[in-house]
Amino acid sequence: MSDISLSSVPRAPAHPRLIPRLFGAEPRFAALGLLLALAMIPTTLAMTLDPRQFQAEAIWLKPLKFELALSLYLLSLAFFARFLPPGMTDGRGYRIFAGVVIFCVLAEMAWIGGAAMFGTASHFNLTDPVMGAIYGLMGLFAVTLTSASLVYGIAIWRHPAGLPDPALRLSVALGLGLTFVLTVLVAGYMAGQPGHLVGTPVTGAKVPLMGWSREVGDLRLPHFLATHAMHVIPLVGLLAGRMRSSRLAIWSVWAVSAGFVALTLGSFALAIMGLPAFAL
Amino acid sequence: MTPDTLFQIASPLAMAGWLLLALAPLVPRWADTLAGFILPALLSLLYTGVILGHWWQGQGGFDSLANVMALLSNPWMALAGWVHFLAFDLFIGGWITRRARTEGVSHLLVLPCLLLTFLFGPIGLILFLSIAATRRLLHPLRSEV
Repeated sequence: MSDISLSSVPRAPAHPRLIPRLFGAEPRFAALGLLLALAMIPTTLAMTLDPRQFQAEAIWLKPLKFELALSLYLLSLAFFARFLPPGMTDGRGYRIFAGVVIFCVLAEMAWIGGAAMFGTASHFNLTDPVMGAIYGLMGLFAVTLTSASLVYGIAIWRHPAGLPDPALRLSVALGLGLTFVLTVLVAGYMAGQPGHLVGTPVTGAKVPLMGWSREVGDLRLPHFLATHAMHVIPLVGLLAGRMRSSRLAIWSVWAVSAGFVALTLGSFALAIMGLPAFAL
Repeated sequence: MTPDTLFQIASPLAMAGWLLLALAPLVPRWADTLAGFILPALLSLLYTGVILGHWWQGQGGFDSLANVMALLSNPWMALAGWVHFLAFDLFIGGWITRRARTEGVSHLLVLPCLLLTFLFGPIGLILFLSIAATRRLLHPLRSEV
């Protein structure tokens, strides 16, 4: 258990299979991440069979996006779990926390999928007291499930033996921590608005694939950047770790992190002002 | 005997089976023999009787959706179709319960599969198959034993 490198997995140390090697350090999150990835198959099928639209998009597109995003999030946590202190994922407190996170993910998916099924809004739905109350509760669940990244970030930071390269450890911890802080900031603000778009007129010009507005402010862009801090910054740390001077590497991680925060907050400010980041 | 009466008899039989499956960790023997075997067999016998006795009055066929709908528009054929659902869904529920036990899948994960199989047959089956496949992917050593 003392040898925790990129290729070591506590549960099946010598097994060559790819999926346990990648995600086996946190099988609970990995299992749910894989199940959500599988759920994208019937969701895509439903999208092709169901002609209904919601706000000028296929009604099943939103559940599909959330399945992709939450699957990636959970599989990423399962990957980073190899750097946690040995035995942490077996602790009672941790197991309860992981169970709560899993419950929150399932509740979010049931809410978003259910809303699509019945052709109504999930987020920003204040049409009646019940939907409004569920929306508030789902905000709490969203913060809870995102807090797993903060818990991982702090635990990895406090366990130098898990990731001896200081620049890489800093980048993983910082990326995970920033995912929580920035996401809660951006998504918390967005939840207080009537919708994810800020401004008029909206005729439907969008960034291909990502769907962000090219006409008005779109709060989903800063949310996207905020949530992917846990991927971008560790990748920078991986590159910085190759530098000869570890001080320079650490400095680079800090500098790129500051730049990424500035980028996220800049796109956030643009969206609040009702300006598109990608103009026509 | 009207199709309605038989419908009233068949549904509680299936319900009893589903209840036993939900409580399977407490009554594994009853769940396996009664819900997994005897009740699906009884429903299959009922189906056989309905088909033997009333197939002659069915219209339509299996070759097009319109013909299948025509076939099921007859109350006896609709009853047969319903009992077919009840028998096969319950049998699948019994299989899920036994399979989960041998693979060591927690009953907490089995319950939503059973509920969905009860309500929407194939959705529950695909959920269970997905859970089982995910476990195999993550624990190749355990499932190969």
